[in-house]
Amino acid sequence: MKIFNYCTIVLFFTIMSCTIDKTDYEAEIDSQVPEYYEFKEAFSVNSGIYKVSIEALNGTFYKGYNELHLKVINTQTNEEINSSKVTFLPILSNTDGSTTSCPHSYNFEYDATNKYYSGYSVFINESINADSWKIYLSFTASNQTYKADKVATVEKQNNMNLNMTAFTGKDNEQYFIALIAPQKPTVSENPLTAGIYKYNKPTTAAGTFPDPTQYSYSEVDNYTLKLDPRMPEPSMGNHSSPNNKDLTQEDDGLYHGVVNYTMTGNWTLNFIMLNQNGLIIKGTVVPTDFTPGVEGVKSELFIDTLF
Amino acid sequence: MKYLLLFLFLGLTITAQNTETQNDSIEKLKEVEIKSAAKNKIETEMKMAVSVDEFLSSSDNISFIKRGAYAWEPLLNNMSSERSTITIDGMHIFGACTDKMDPVTSYVESNNLAAIDIKSGQEGSLHGATVAGSIDLKRRSTAFSLEKKWMGSYQSGFEFNNNQFFNLGNIAYSSNRFVADGSISYRKADDYFDGNNDEVKHSQYKKFNTSLGLAYKTSELSSVRFDAIFDMAKDVGYPALPMDLWLSRALITSASYKQLFEDGLVRVIDTKVYFNAIEHYMDDTTRPENLVHMDMPGWSTTYGLVSKANIRKNNYSSEIQLNAYDNVSIAEMRMYPQDRSERTMFAYSWPWVTTRYGGLSMNNNWDISEKSQLNLGGSLGVNYNYSKYVEFNWIFHPGAPQEKTRFLPSLHAGYNLDLENFNFSAGTGYGHRAPSVSEGYGYYIYNSFDRYDYIGDPNLKNEISYEGNASAGFNKERFSIQAKVNYFYIQNYIIGRILSMGSPMNYQSVGVKGYTSLDYATLFNASMNVSYDILEHLHWKGNLTYARGMDNNGGNLPFIRPLSYQSSLHFMHNNFGIQASVNGDLAQINYSPEYGEDQTDAYFIWNLSADYTFNINKIESVIQIGAENILNKYYSTYADWGNIPRMGRNIFASLKFSL
Repeated sequence: MKIFNYCTIVLFFTIMSCTIDKTDYEAEIDSQVPEYYEFKEAFSVNSGIYKVSIEALNGTFYKGYNELHLKVINTQTNEEINSSKVTFLPILSNTDGSTTSCPHSYNFEYDATNKYYSGYSVFINESINADSWKIYLSFTASNQTYKADKVATVEKQNNMNLNMTAFTGKDNEQYFIALIAPQKPTVSENPLTAGIYKYNKPTTAAGTFPDPTQYSYSEVDNYTLKLDPRMPEPSMGNHSSPNNKDLTQEDDGLYHGVVNYTMTGNWTLNFIMLNQNGLIIKGTVVPTDFTPGVEGVKSELFIDTLF
Repeated sequence: MKYLLLFLFLGLTITAQNTETQNDSIEKLKEVEIKSAAKNKIETEMKMAVSVDEFLSSSDNISFIKRGAYAWEPLLNNMSSERSTITIDGMHIFGACTDKMDPVTSYVESNNLAAIDIKSGQEGSLHGATVAGSIDLKRRSTAFSLEKKWMGSYQSGFEFNNNQFFNLGNIAYSSNRFVADGSISYRKADDYFDGNNDEVKHSQYKKFNTSLGLAYKTSELSSVRFDAIFDMAKDVGYPALPMDLWLSRALITSASYKQLFEDGLVRVIDTKVYFNAIEHYMDDTTRPENLVHMDMPGWSTTYGLVSKANIRKNNYSSEIQLNAYDNVSIAEMRMYPQDRSERTMFAYSWPWVTTRYGGLSMNNNWDISEKSQLNLGGSLGVNYNYSKYVEFNWIFHPGAPQEKTRFLPSLHAGYNLDLENFNFSAGTGYGHRAPSVSEGYGYYIYNSFDRYDYIGDPNLKNEISYEGNASAGFNKERFSIQAKVNYFYIQNYIIGRILSMGSPMNYQSVGVKGYTSLDYATLFNASMNVSYDILEHLHWKGNLTYARGMDNNGGNLPFIRPLSYQSSLHFMHNNFGIQASVNGDLAQINYSPEYGEDQTDAYFIWNLSADYTFNINKIESVIQIGAENILNKYYSTYADWGNIPRMGRNIFASLKFSL
């Protein structure tokens, strides 16, 4: 009998725990993807008695799409101005002396509900060494126009799900595609949001720097972004997923579709961009063959993601 | 009435004899218990030391899908294991491997079982909703005895083909109030060799199993019992699969209370609560040819209750059983990129799927006359599924419900008639079953047989079975013949069909299949058993089985056994016995290329064994020597996964002592 009891005890000790722990799925996804919900001040500049404060997610400007909340504050009364006409212009100065900008909203609209001026900026580069971003602002207060400018820091976007790409289309125009959502994809059907922007070539000669007509960008309308997500890992043999939906423009001006990720890891979103007439602006059809051990061919227009 | 279809003396060679035991009274019940402990040895006529799989395969209506030398998947009436309920003493247990590398039968050992109770079709609905029937593995349990006594047995043996060495030990103590049963076993085998004397790589295994049962009589008519089985298999090769098993462990526990009643309508109530936990870890590091290294752990945990009452009045008897269980099945896959510094790729192949079942089953029997009995039964169950990470299922089935409740009714009726030397029976049944976890919620489960990744569908309809069965037999002195047929018409038959969307995830795979419902499928099974006592000590037995399975387009279903036969001669005199048998299948003409099958050729093999019984003091001892596949035939059967060859000539020797 003692043997039995002894066996039972030993048995229970060896058994009551699993040999290998189960994966904590939530932590598994968190490990790769920082997710930010909170808008904090990322930039501020003073002009006269006014202070302009710009809030971005996590209080940082990142390469790619940034939603911006701007406030104009009277520093004497501490009141927020709500009837100002605000303009915003980011300029990137390169070491060679050339300047460029990026897709952005030049005029910020006042959002009465949330009490801020709302806009966005798609920074196309990080601030590195001599390449620096400067933000030029103007606003009106008490029927007077104020101007301000200040250097801003743009950091690397570590979340690959907010990657962007810039390219020249077959129509010789300069385009930008920036991923906006989801910040944190899961193995599921993920609603996918992207912004598609275009550089408006100036039609007039440059005026005084910074002349906004030389740095004009706009959202493109009624384009289609055909989507084919695939796993780039060679051993995954060009694996793809079913039930994806191409991105089309909705009322918010942004492009919405669905991407299905079948597992975590590296993914490539292969795109074909069609203009409003259905003509291909950029992108190639990717082979659908299953090729174990060989990395699939990417479209000439793609964005990599990882989660 | 209670049917105990106990498989006594089933041979590689032999008829399944369905011993029908009636429980007239409590005394009888006790008798049955003692009988099952004493008589139902888990052995075949050819071989006294068999594995559970070998023992099961000696039954007519069981065939096996074999992925190697270990853990064969039992097919009842030529239907895959999700269509039958496989239980241990009525306890539901579910394997933790998405590739069916661990059927429930792999977590027990022959020395902790007393008998295996197989019921065909809806007659098996007592243990829960089923289509094919039920397989109940009956644990060994020693009866209370007036005198204190110790019993024990020890069995050891060696099989030369794969250097399998096994040791099985049993010990039992019995007294008026207290009983203890214990068993322990260890098997270790190397790779086996096929009929061409080529080594079948990755076919080794190691298995340790121990069990303990304690019973205490709380009063003259009641007792409590605690049972536990611990099973551990390590380093198990599956030559037909692209990966092996590193470790699987099962803990199977139960506590039961049994109350007998001396008079009244209800004679016995037996209630049991149980818990079992299974973990299963695959291993592909032994397969350097694999392009992708993967971790594929699986877990299955089940809590349950089974309560049974036996009712008897005059010529009416009834069995009522309540089954309830809660199972959580989890399976993960993590693929490692070739550059290990890159991010691993993770997904659930079973996204934390909960299955809850509650059902009430009943079996009624009337003895209409001395010669005829009527049997009527049914069950009603509620099956509930919940997928925790339902977003995995949404990828292929957008908007599929996270929870699903199904009602699973079942009915069956049968009639038996005994006339002089003849006996006849006819029966019919109707029943639903819910899709299994893989069929409903599986996600990229790689099937190495047809080389497709399988996707479950939470919206699958219940599979609905309509069946008919009949048997006829003749018995006279030295001759007996018994023929049985059954026919299943299964609506919404669940099977994998190629999906036009999605692309494979596993690198060996060629495409994606989704579990879908065929309008219907039909299955026909027939068997015939003949025995003849040629001389007083010389007996002949023969057996023939045939099955045919078709889908709604007249196409063949996979894994349907072709015409197969067994024939054996058994000579027994005094302490000496010798058996010879031949068994084989005809060519598999009705194969299904659609499901990855190719034609399998006919084969037959010869087996021979001899045993001698002697006593050393009071210890009864048996020694047996024999050989399977004497002619060292190279063959593979219709159900060998990936056409892996079966074992070539295998000489075995075993020795058993019982006290």
